[in-house]
Amino acid sequence: MVTLYRPGDSPWHRLRPGPKMALLLLIVLGVCLLPVTWWAAGVMTGVCLVCYAVPDVGMRELGRQLFTARWILGVTLAGQLIFLGPESAAANTVRVAVACALAALLALTTPATELLETIERAMAPLAWLRIDPRRAALTLSVTLSTLPVLATLARDVREAQRARGGGRSLRHFAMPFLVMALKHADELGDALAARGVR
Amino acid sequence: MVLNAVQVNTVKEKQLRDDQAPRRWALDATDLARVAVFAALVAALGLPGAFSVFGGVPITAQTFGVMLAGAILGPRLGALSMTALLALVAAGLPLLAGGRGGISVFVGPSAGYLIGWIAGAFVIGLIVHSSARKPAVWRTALAMLVGGILVVYAFGIPVQSLVTRLPLAETALTSLVFIPGDLVKAALATLTVGTLLRAYPRAFRRTWLPSGRQEADAPTSPAP
Repeated sequence: MVTLYRPGDSPWHRLRPGPKMALLLLIVLGVCLLPVTWWAAGVMTGVCLVCYAVPDVGMRELGRQLFTARWILGVTLAGQLIFLGPESAAANTVRVAVACALAALLALTTPATELLETIERAMAPLAWLRIDPRRAALTLSVTLSTLPVLATLARDVREAQRARGGGRSLRHFAMPFLVMALKHADELGDALAARGVR
Repeated sequence: MVLNAVQVNTVKEKQLRDDQAPRRWALDATDLARVAVFAALVAALGLPGAFSVFGGVPITAQTFGVMLAGAILGPRLGALSMTALLALVAAGLPLLAGGRGGISVFVGPSAGYLIGWIAGAFVIGLIVHSSARKPAVWRTALAMLVGGILVVYAFGIPVQSLVTRLPLAETALTSLVFIPGDLVKAALATLTVGTLLRAYPRAFRRTWLPSGRQEADAPTSPAP
């Protein structure tokens, strides 16, 4: 499974996940509280550029982040331009882009396993709600290991579809994929039960 | 994974409490596997190689997976599997359509829609599993429309409006663009659930009362 993590040795990489999450959320919150004006858009862009201008992250990564968010940014910009005018449109779209890019720094500079451990630790209070943190953690790691299996199943079904001359219709993809996934779930459940998961 | 002191303590406390607490909310191994598989299924539906439902416009099939998760797993497990998926997304896995992931999606305009997946799967499960009898087509369709579209938008539009600072009414208006696609997915999900009820009833891991008319001779297979 490919994660968003980019190994490196920037200040962001060196921060521990907990404080890093708090710091980034604080910056994002600060950005979100700025007024909707041209100069605010400039300030936000500046903050974002400074945060990305560290070794092992860089402007290239920022570009990649904005590219993955292009559809959302496009829709936001279009809606704002139609209803609110250029200044609001620019400021709000920049704010959304900057917030997303800043928050992405967390996943870019922290390995997913460390983040999962942090999430597990943060879930401990859920024990009060009768949610078992161990069970939750197990569910997450089983999901993680199931991802490549289902990706392979999806590819197989799609290839079979293509071999029969079918297009990329979701309708003809859904049933076989679903039944294969459900069969896999049954087998997985048996395997877990055999390993002592009640 | 390394357990730290806090975790070990909570685990011990939890074990103590487990012995007294009713096990109503506990998952068995198969439930856990099904939750994991549906979380992964929704992720797989967002993989590159998007489906084109109507002429070339690439749409994400992920909400289709959300609808199926609610209808097949039922309210509690359906909501749980969406929560598991979003937890992994928050941990930085690029599992959403277009390879998006990380905390950033939860501060972006689509955050509300993602939270809406959890509520939507819950509501769909509630409606589909509301009776002891097999859901009729109209009940499944209602579940998809209410849970899969209405509930998801009820969470999504206010948050989008808050994040982009576009007033609520205008945001709702721009979201109308996605309604046709969602209707197609709801119809498709209804069809799929109907087919699954006939062809692979054990998918639902429950028994339904015979619905009187057509099911008199076909006993539903019990869970494994």
